[in-house]
Amino acid sequence: MATERPLVLPGETIDPSLIPSHPKNPLRLGPGLRHIPPTDIVPTVAGQLITNPAKNSMWIEYNSNRYIPSPNDVLLAQILRSTTDFYLCTISPHTAPATLPHLAFESATKKTRPVLLPGQLVYARVTLANKHMDPELECVSATTGKAEGLGPITGPGCVFDVSLGFARRLLMARSREDGGVGVLEMLGGEEGGGLAFETAVGRNGKVWVGSESARTVVLVGRALQETDRGGLGVEGQRRLVKRLVREMR
Amino acid sequence: MPREAEPSLNERQFVAQAIQENLRLDGRELDQYRPLELTFGDQYGVADVTLGKTRVLAKATAEVTVPYADRPLDGIFTIATELSPMTSPAFEVNRPTETEVLLSRLLEKTVRRSGALDTESLCLVAGQKCWSVRVDVHVLSHDGNLIDAACAAVVAALRHFRKPDTSMEGGLLTVYTPAEREPVPLSWLHSPFCVTWSFFGEEGEMAVLDATWIEEQVRVGSCTVSLNKHGEICQIAKLGGTPVEAVALLQCTSVALAKVKEFSDLLDTRLAEDLKRRDKGGFMAELRAENDR
Repeated sequence: MATERPLVLPGETIDPSLIPSHPKNPLRLGPGLRHIPPTDIVPTVAGQLITNPAKNSMWIEYNSNRYIPSPNDVLLAQILRSTTDFYLCTISPHTAPATLPHLAFESATKKTRPVLLPGQLVYARVTLANKHMDPELECVSATTGKAEGLGPITGPGCVFDVSLGFARRLLMARSREDGGVGVLEMLGGEEGGGLAFETAVGRNGKVWVGSESARTVVLVGRALQETDRGGLGVEGQRRLVKRLVREMR
Repeated sequence: MPREAEPSLNERQFVAQAIQENLRLDGRELDQYRPLELTFGDQYGVADVTLGKTRVLAKATAEVTVPYADRPLDGIFTIATELSPMTSPAFEVNRPTETEVLLSRLLEKTVRRSGALDTESLCLVAGQKCWSVRVDVHVLSHDGNLIDAACAAVVAALRHFRKPDTSMEGGLLTVYTPAEREPVPLSWLHSPFCVTWSFFGEEGEMAVLDATWIEEQVRVGSCTVSLNKHGEICQIAKLGGTPVEAVALLQCTSVALAKVKEFSDLLDTRLAEDLKRRDKGGFMAELRAENDR
């Protein structure tokens, strides 16, 4: 997939040899890049430039502090209050409250909609995120009508704050190869002694870790936060997991 | 408008339940502090205290003013706290929240009312001129236990501070610049520190030291004990919350004394290190030609 990962700064000129060229597909620009007609492509944030020649796309992988919603992001939102038709949810302290319609849950009708209390966590997907408008969320897939893992979060567990870049790396389909994050696999695998836990990673920099044992939740949460804070590589993560498992026994 | 990020129901339940099992989110023991780091600035009277992710900067300054009419023989000593929106979305400029009022009140009681600084020594000419010492507390980052960190910062800043030397000759007051005369330290009587306990559980039976921000929002009560290393208690503040057993409170005070001794030792070592760093080897060494100008 990604071949080279040069570091770019905002406003820098991108080396034309890095821009992928494909005979048929149009060039697709992802987050952090801006097209200034006719021919200029300028980075708007500092980060790693990633190109995918097969899909003829390029984007910038960066780490920021403020979450800005964009469609199809999954995130951990918190119910603020309920109105007649929808719930208002907080995504982060600095973003406007998002709306989550009462009917945007799996098999919800006017009579059988879930009743959520203020403060309850939901794992939701962003459906609409326009400038100057409140973002809109859903807990059900619009095409299949199934929850597909989204919905209110219940059961014992806790939320841990991580950086946005780290949350994105955790959410990658092949997080160990592409994102360099193998800490969750290790905790569940032989390094961690096969801990049983589940996670829900939100793009807004929040990770919910759930397990029957509170000790496991704390261990996983600490492993995630220390990996993020220390910028650990895969080898560092392995050492961290071993150390934490030894400490918490 | 930014809103304070309150912990969700799930987090509240988990934190409370984990503390019942002697577990904290950062893996500390219940009576364990986060590592306290203390650094001094280049100027006299600047102290930077870091307690985990909480960071407080205190700066002491002095100026010559007219004393209050009702206290002609005393200098003026004030502590000003500021919680800026940089710290947390909950804080606004010029609109003190309850946290800020309580913080400044506790610092006032701990440092000023306990007589840590001898205000009579700040008097220059009775009823006419005195020193006004002011400590500005800036909270740079808030992750719980502001009171303990702020108190340590204030005490450290004042212990580190040097005010310009003065002399009185025939009714004429002279304030010397640092180049003319070495500035002099304040007349400091004792170093009080705050130790805050947070209580968890139905009847407040679990006592926790150095609570983080999320723990502070879940706790059922808190108690701040201020004392110096000789075990002299300056104040105890238990503002509302669940009632706590008297015996448990006594236990808390004795643990607090041990912590305060640690803080005092840390402050003394850091002050000694700073003095050593500043000491260029006497007057002659300072005047040498190859020194930096």
